[in-house]
Amino acid sequence: MIEKGRISALQMATLLYPTIIATAILLVPAITGEYAKKDMWLSPIWASLAGLFVIFLAVKLEQRFPEQTIIQYSGTITGKLIGKLIGVLIVLYYFHATGIILLEYGNFVIGSFLPRTPLLIVIGSMVLVCGLAVRGGIEVMARTAQVLVPFVILFFTLIMILLTPELNLDNLFPVMEYGLKPSLKGAIIPASWFLQLFIIAFILPVLKKGEKIGKAGILTVITVMITLVITNLVTLLLFGVITTSFTYPVMEAARFISVADFLQHLESVVMAIWVAGTFIKVSLFYYVVVIGTAQVLHISDFRPIVLPIGLFLTVLSFWTSSSLQELEQILITSFPFYDFFVLIIIPMLLLVIAKVRKKGATKNRRNKGKVKK
Amino acid sequence: MKIRRPKPLVSKVKLKETLNPNQQEKENNEVHADNTVNANSSNKRKENGDIVSSDLSKNEEKIRSIYKNCSDVIYRTFYIGNKTKALLIYIEGLSNEQEIEESVLSPLMNERNMGTEIQSLMTKTVSAPNIKEVSTYIDCVNELSVGKTVIFVSQNSSAFSVSLTKWEKRAIEQPESESVVRGPREGFIEDITVNTSLLRRRIRSPKLKMVRYLVGKYSETSVVIAYVDGLASEDLIEEVKRRVKRIDIDGILDSGTVEEFIEDHPYSPFPQTLATERPDVVTANLLEGRVAILVEGSPFSLIAPITFYSLLQASEDYYGRFLIGTALRWLRYIFLVISLLLPSLYVAVLTFHQEMIPTSLVISIIGSREQVPFPAIVEVLIMEITFEALREAGLRLPKQVGSAVSIVGALVIGDAAVSAGIVSPPMVIVVAITGVASFTIPRYSAAIALRMLRFPIVILAGILGLLGVMLGIILIIVHLASLRSFGVPYLSPMAPMQANEMKDVLIRAPLWKLNKRPHFTGDYNEYRQAPNQKPNPSKGGDG
Amino acid sequence: MRNYFKPGRLLLLICTFPFLLSGCWDRIEINDMAIIVATGIDLTDEGEVELSVQIVNPQGLGSSGSGGGQLGGSGSVGTMVSLEKATGKTIYDARSKLQEKVPRSLFLGHNRVILIGERLAKQGIKQHVDFFARHPFPRIKAYVFVTKDKPIELLQVNPDLERSTAEAARELADQKFGLDVTLKDLLQMLADDTRGAALPYLLVDKEIPGKVGLKVNGSAIFSDGKLIGELDDERNRGLFWLINKVDQASVTIEPEAAAGYISFSIINAKTKMKPTINNGKWKMTIDIQADDDIVENNTYLDVMSPAILKKLEGQLEETIRHQIYDTLEVIQKDFKTDVLGFDEAFHSHYPKEWATVKDNWTDTFSEVDVEVNTKISISRPGRSTTPQGVPKDKVIE
Repeated sequence: MIEKGRISALQMATLLYPTIIATAILLVPAITGEYAKKDMWLSPIWASLAGLFVIFLAVKLEQRFPEQTIIQYSGTITGKLIGKLIGVLIVLYYFHATGIILLEYGNFVIGSFLPRTPLLIVIGSMVLVCGLAVRGGIEVMARTAQVLVPFVILFFTLIMILLTPELNLDNLFPVMEYGLKPSLKGAIIPASWFLQLFIIAFILPVLKKGEKIGKAGILTVITVMITLVITNLVTLLLFGVITTSFTYPVMEAARFISVADFLQHLESVVMAIWVAGTFIKVSLFYYVVVIGTAQVLHISDFRPIVLPIGLFLTVLSFWTSSSLQELEQILITSFPFYDFFVLIIIPMLLLVIAKVRKKGATKNRRNKGKVKK
Repeated sequence: MKIRRPKPLVSKVKLKETLNPNQQEKENNEVHADNTVNANSSNKRKENGDIVSSDLSKNEEKIRSIYKNCSDVIYRTFYIGNKTKALLIYIEGLSNEQEIEESVLSPLMNERNMGTEIQSLMTKTVSAPNIKEVSTYIDCVNELSVGKTVIFVSQNSSAFSVSLTKWEKRAIEQPESESVVRGPREGFIEDITVNTSLLRRRIRSPKLKMVRYLVGKYSETSVVIAYVDGLASEDLIEEVKRRVKRIDIDGILDSGTVEEFIEDHPYSPFPQTLATERPDVVTANLLEGRVAILVEGSPFSLIAPITFYSLLQASEDYYGRFLIGTALRWLRYIFLVISLLLPSLYVAVLTFHQEMIPTSLVISIIGSREQVPFPAIVEVLIMEITFEALREAGLRLPKQVGSAVSIVGALVIGDAAVSAGIVSPPMVIVVAITGVASFTIPRYSAAIALRMLRFPIVILAGILGLLGVMLGIILIIVHLASLRSFGVPYLSPMAPMQANEMKDVLIRAPLWKLNKRPHFTGDYNEYRQAPNQKPNPSKGGDG
Repeated sequence: MRNYFKPGRLLLLICTFPFLLSGCWDRIEINDMAIIVATGIDLTDEGEVELSVQIVNPQGLGSSGSGGGQLGGSGSVGTMVSLEKATGKTIYDARSKLQEKVPRSLFLGHNRVILIGERLAKQGIKQHVDFFARHPFPRIKAYVFVTKDKPIELLQVNPDLERSTAEAARELADQKFGLDVTLKDLLQMLADDTRGAALPYLLVDKEIPGKVGLKVNGSAIFSDGKLIGELDDERNRGLFWLINKVDQASVTIEPEAAAGYISFSIINAKTKMKPTINNGKWKMTIDIQADDDIVENNTYLDVMSPAILKKLEGQLEETIRHQIYDTLEVIQKDFKTDVLGFDEAFHSHYPKEWATVKDNWTDTFSEVDVEVNTKISISRPGRSTTPQGVPKDKVIE
């Protein structure tokens, strides 16, 4: 094992929650609203099923190959060459995904708050901070998440509560005017966020023994789903038809908060809190990239490659797309299929092949797992 | 989970071992793993380890050569019962001369029946409470150096050490750095025996163990590791002992020296042991399964392992009512954040996010800043550095002058700076609140760490606004999350989360609810008290 | 894993700070900013956008009200604020030209009032609101008003009690005697193509000779983003009842039983819309419930008598109903613009039928049969029981 730290299932959930939420909360309301209109709050519920499925896949694979990541067991399942290929593909996917997240982050910060600051500084400072966390290993990341996530949730709830006087229930009706179809259509894009939960495949190997993985996974999916439903619901109730015309509806909602004419324009505070969530998301993806690269290249210690990879990620984020419009187009059109292929098809094939070829431990994972080690 | 040791130190020791095995051995030899009368380590230290000779003049010569040019060593030759020649040695100022005269010299000199052996004679006639036989010179020197009186008797190949120590020490006073309104007012002093006695008086059980080490090549300072057997985990005790033993240094002047050598993360600005002068704090921590390190010559004892939250807890939290304690604790948390962030938030909001300030306030701030030539960030840095300088000046000066400094600083400089248009009035308010906020943190070492960290955050705020502030906070949290104090994660019980222990962090739960001890590493003694002790009139007096 | 605070690296990091500071891309000192508190947009004769702004004038703050230190330009409105104006093809274009005149960086983050000139309003406001929702700084919670005069004339007004027009206009909107429409509400109304928009009028008040003030009075009705008509103050009240915005209002009636007037203050008002479609007949039932307190009684009526109260209640209901029907008449028949939210009500209750009329809702809207039910209860007589200043024997019971 490259990673020596061990985390608990609860810590895993606290890592995963912001990993999904951080960018979803910004972009999902506008994107789902596009397709689902007034049923946009239903879409995350359907989308969450995708999350449950990938967690199921990851857990099943993990049971066969305890303490190994997908990079390692893909070789065992399919043979050396194809296994390596799959490993490289997955690592490249995460490289790309991290680049996109960084660009989303940078564009958001610059577009809404710091219009004249160079993108390089905004992304670079984030990569540096994340790099330090990644160097600390999964334990440090998990602990940082445990400090930050309660605040993220607290502020999120606070904002939603402060917005309640502005909400207009009329915007909600009619529910399911055109049946289930629009809300299902709207679920496709958020589903690609839920698919990101497949990142659990890289965390499961470093989990402490005897933790309740299933419970933590389901807990994550449900909390993410509830958060997205609430977000969509609040933006819908606040803005109604114009929700989709904003790039970041939640930020616009934050602009709307006013408490006693004193606390107002909290969007910068919301941004700062949101940055905390993004930090966890970026570090987790960054961590997976680093671990994946180390495993593909058979490097025994991942720490020396953290900063070089960070440099590369920063540059990569500039390459992913030239504008926010293009980025959003990628996210809506090609990324769902990309996600679907890497995060569902490949693991599913791996699982099927493993079953057919009877690779890995089957029922009594503990004994065989030990033998394998 | 095993306790981790900082790797660099381990490897250094190993290196030393390979280079100079002799020195390594010597280092171990300096340790006297013993706190009782019997010194079973008498076969140590080769160069001075000679056995006491039966020739009195040879003995005297030897001791005099060891204590060459030491005018404070007193030699007194006398005859026991007018017959047997004997030599009495002690160090001036460490021994009680009157007692020596009364309970050693005069009974021995006036002894009439000399028939018995010298050993039994000593036991019979010397009326000092503690007397023991030592057989090597090194032991003699050890005994002398702690103020005991050593008697050589002619024709006897061992010396007698009589414990009649007495030296000038400060009286027990109220601890200055941690005063309380309610609670014990005793504080540790520089004398370690007094300090250990203060602990022993609070924990009478023989389970309270105190292991003494001598650290420092020249200072030979006593360092006592105190713990309660059965409460502190074995791993922890072993680890503390190992780290203390490893120290190889000329002299130890304060527990701060020890602290620097036993930390997990030497480059961190945060304290990883808790320094306290309050015996009741040490007692409470011992009972929670922690280990205390007392150092001769320092009123501050160290407690390990600690967490970040223990730096924010005052002892008085537990002596007052729990509701008030909870409220005060939250007040402290809020002001902790303020002391760290207020200046940077001021910079960030004023130069990046002006829309956040209420319109009427922004207008009045513009008015007040109209005359100020500096950018807000420079203004903040000037004032904060001035404030730190004033604090430092007031601290080092004698008390009377110190208060004058703070008056000059606060009133004259602050007021003059505003009227000269160098800083704006809101800035002065910000600095003042920050200053007050940092004083609410009960531990000086933690407060100063946070105070210093606010400067980099101010600069980050000047570059990236609130984003910079947030990145700064995240950096600090990442750093804190990577810290361990003797194997215990610094941010526990929050991260990693131990829900059960959060009730002593988020709130100050009533004592009858704090049934379990905090859990650090390995096995532990879980319960500290019987459950269901909530007071209730209906429980009556007969229960 | 514990080495990141290596002193060398830390030192390096600290050394990079000054370099970063020299950048300071978005850092702007608060006293290098021109804080805009109100903007007015109107159309020039050439068809360009005229942007007038009210800027906080820091010179006029602190020291006692010296009139000096104006930023120059066309306006001169006292000590607290200065006025600037520029024209351009778009609002931002005009803003850029404005910046050429203003030595400090213009900042829209505190702009809380947007005034739209009638001329621009008639031409259509749809294309102009985009700026306020796209640029990172303007507030989405700014109040929007329509002005009869050029906005700059209103911005020149120096209100007595508040620091500036901006403040006065905002406080007036907060009083809720007129409509209070925020930019978000406007965006919402404009985005809905079956919906019209109603904005409050902000007018110059010249009742006291030699002194000018501001007042909100009546509303401007927009259809498809263009100003098409005006509701006077009386009908405006009716509109308030219809859209459930009655918060603070007074109703005065002339009782049948005696000479004089009685004024009521409305404390709890609730409007409910109930759409129904029967045999293709679209009908809207509006239920209004309100509690009133008597605040002034000029008549000889004893308002403690239940019989008289009953009568008064009936008359109140009648007055309000009349007011509402009057308003409805104008809105439905003259303006043919749904500013009442009937579209949403029908949409949520009858989605299928709605789909058929969606495209020409204006026609259907003017044909919707509206029934207004009012239920008013007079709950308290106020501090006095019998009329004050009237001998006991003259009180009508």
